[in-house]
Amino acid sequence: MQRVAVIGAGTMGRTHAEAYARMPNAELVAICDSRLGAAQQLADKYSARAFADINLLLSDVDLDLVDICTPTHTHIDYIKAAAAARKHICCEKPLTRTTGQAMEAVRICQEAGVMLFPAQVLRWFPEFRKMHDLIVSGAIGTPVVVRTSRCSAYPRGTDDWFADMKNSGGVALDMIIHDYDWLRWCFGKVKRVYARGLYESNIPLTDYALVTLRFENGVIAHVEGNWARPSGFVATVEVAGTEGLLSYSSTESVPLTVELKAKGEQKAGVTVPESPVSKSPYYLELEHLVNCLETGCKPEVSAEDGLEAVRIGEAALKSISTGQPIALA
Amino acid sequence: MAGANVVRIGIMSFAHMHAHGYASCLQKLPNVEFVGIADDDRSRAEQMANHYGVRAFDSYEQMLASDIDAVIVTSENANHRRHVAMAAQSEKHVLCEKPLATTKKDAEAIVEVVRRSKIKFMMAFPCRFHPAFKRLRETVDSGDLGKILAMKGTNQGQCPGGWFTDTKLAGGGAVIDHTVHLADLMRVLTKAEPARVYAEIDNHIFRGDFDDTGIITVEFTNKVFATIDSSWSRPKTYPFWGNVNLEVIGTEGVARMEMFAQKIDLYSDKTGRHTYEYWGDDVNLALIDSFARSIAQDSPVEITGEDGLRALEVALAAYESSKLHEPIDLLN
Ligand SMILES: NC(=O)c1ccc[n+]([C@@H]2O[C@H](COP(=O)([O-])OP(=O)(O)OC[C@H]3O[C@@H](n4cnc5c(N)ncnc54)[C@H](O)[C@@H]3O)[C@@H](O)[C@H]2O)c1
Repeated sequence: MQRVAVIGAGTMGRTHAEAYARMPNAELVAICDSRLGAAQQLADKYSARAFADINLLLSDVDLDLVDICTPTHTHIDYIKAAAAARKHICCEKPLTRTTGQAMEAVRICQEAGVMLFPAQVLRWFPEFRKMHDLIVSGAIGTPVVVRTSRCSAYPRGTDDWFADMKNSGGVALDMIIHDYDWLRWCFGKVKRVYARGLYESNIPLTDYALVTLRFENGVIAHVEGNWARPSGFVATVEVAGTEGLLSYSSTESVPLTVELKAKGEQKAGVTVPESPVSKSPYYLELEHLVNCLETGCKPEVSAEDGLEAVRIGEAALKSISTGQPIALA
Repeated sequence: MAGANVVRIGIMSFAHMHAHGYASCLQKLPNVEFVGIADDDRSRAEQMANHYGVRAFDSYEQMLASDIDAVIVTSENANHRRHVAMAAQSEKHVLCEKPLATTKKDAEAIVEVVRRSKIKFMMAFPCRFHPAFKRLRETVDSGDLGKILAMKGTNQGQCPGGWFTDTKLAGGGAVIDHTVHLADLMRVLTKAEPARVYAEIDNHIFRGDFDDTGIITVEFTNKVFATIDSSWSRPKTYPFWGNVNLEVIGTEGVARMEMFAQKIDLYSDKTGRHTYEYWGDDVNLALIDSFARSIAQDSPVEITGEDGLRALEVALAAYESSKLHEPIDLLN
């Protein structure tokens, strides 16, 4: 049984908390959030304890795992605190805000002998796993040119923390780090990064980036990140190889659509597309982590994977800023 | 329906398969007369002339000496310069297949030859005439999307083979073949010129001595940035030859154009294939109609040789950038 504390009671904190609460071999014992009220509310739901201060939590509660779901720029401090207390760590993506922090995090956790698990959840999305498996099986021959796209409206976190680009890293770090990780999983090491984007444009609640990655195996990938799409979320992938092409769009993978007529005052009806799966990718991801802790196995995503994804994101931001391609050693 | 306003047109070379599309438009349009065909390959000229029921000329010279008004140049890219110069010499108007040429020098020479002549010269960028693009242009011009911030385009296709993969005749592979369409559409939408180009280009699909893959980033003089995917990345089993897609990101909204989305899905046991059967407007009709009108009415052409040159410069800079792994500045 793994005893877990979740740090941050926002969107991701609630998602992770719910997953642990349902897991037979995990016990959600504490929630920590700088907004004590938010921590309390979530803790009450699962009969856990609420804290506003991680150090109190670490000294008061018997724990195996600290799961960090706070805004990105605060990850490093919580990683340090948890590692110092010799707790295993799960950390939402991006692992940290900067490459330097990520390197420090990897080193600290190694020294402390604790696991650092970056929550690169895309690897547990069945459609992305299926595409990975198809590519690796040679279904399209040798992969050559890839396009991924991840679009949504601008995310509105607590106190609009995403809007402070310095803290969130904007779309080129925060959002498409999912794709960087998935692409690394499929195609290996990135050699060169070129990006254009609105990171430094100071257009309120708008960000957009077009990133070109060149991999060491020759693959060229075009990665789009869009936080300017009024109609909401869509993700697409296309991989062209020497013997075929695979393509995926979230908008075309919708086995259920419910349409309701307008009611009362409402002008338009509501359309809700659904792509239900029996176990959510977040559950699968955390279940994998907890099982690894229980059995002592190595997780499928390493701390270094989390670090490398941040490195690509930071290179993209640097390329946006300098207008130059960035070589990754 | 012969008359003073009917423009008499011949086709110079059937090397480019677009000649077929143009030929069938010449047969359909009321304001043009399809006179005949000349080709370096005399037997091809005869075969095509038979097929379309028009005259096969013995040579380009013979066709240019006839009483035609204009020619459509659909030869290999590297031959455009020579054929345009011949037509200009004979004072025949020209509709020229894209890309304008294979080198900047040739492209500039074409622009210069045209400038010094009295002929009308129009670049064949038919995508400009698609109703979806016209609506997109209106939407952008109306200000509904706010200020344009970025664009994302793809012109991916199947590898056409033939001389398209002979870099001496084509000037390159996929990148020179496909980049120019979107570079042109983007210039029209942003009303700005390409200023900086970066590209990753390679040949890993076919491993030939021609490029088959290219992701090109373009920055315009007004800071709008864009990417163009001009890869021959549609496999042989793909249901259609390819696509022309363009997305515009504005401060007030986004717009997506999928030019060939007007299609029927056909699953055929006869061919063992799934195909898209396009039913939207034939953009070549509007292209040739526009060309014929500017001749008949002596009005300016809608797409100039300079437009062709600007678009070509993007493709050429892309090759240079990909070699140097550096962005290339165009405005110097
Ligand atoms: N994997 C995914 O799909 C996914 C999706 C969204 C966000 N994320 C990542 O998860 C993290 C959290 O994002 P979110 O959307 O849940 O944000 P959120 O704003 O919804 O939640 C953040 C929570 O952290 C609390 N908080 C802020 N600063 C704190 C501090 N210093 N100490 C303790 N608590 C603090 C806030 O009060 C809030 O409750 C980010 O790193 C983000 O990039 C991942």
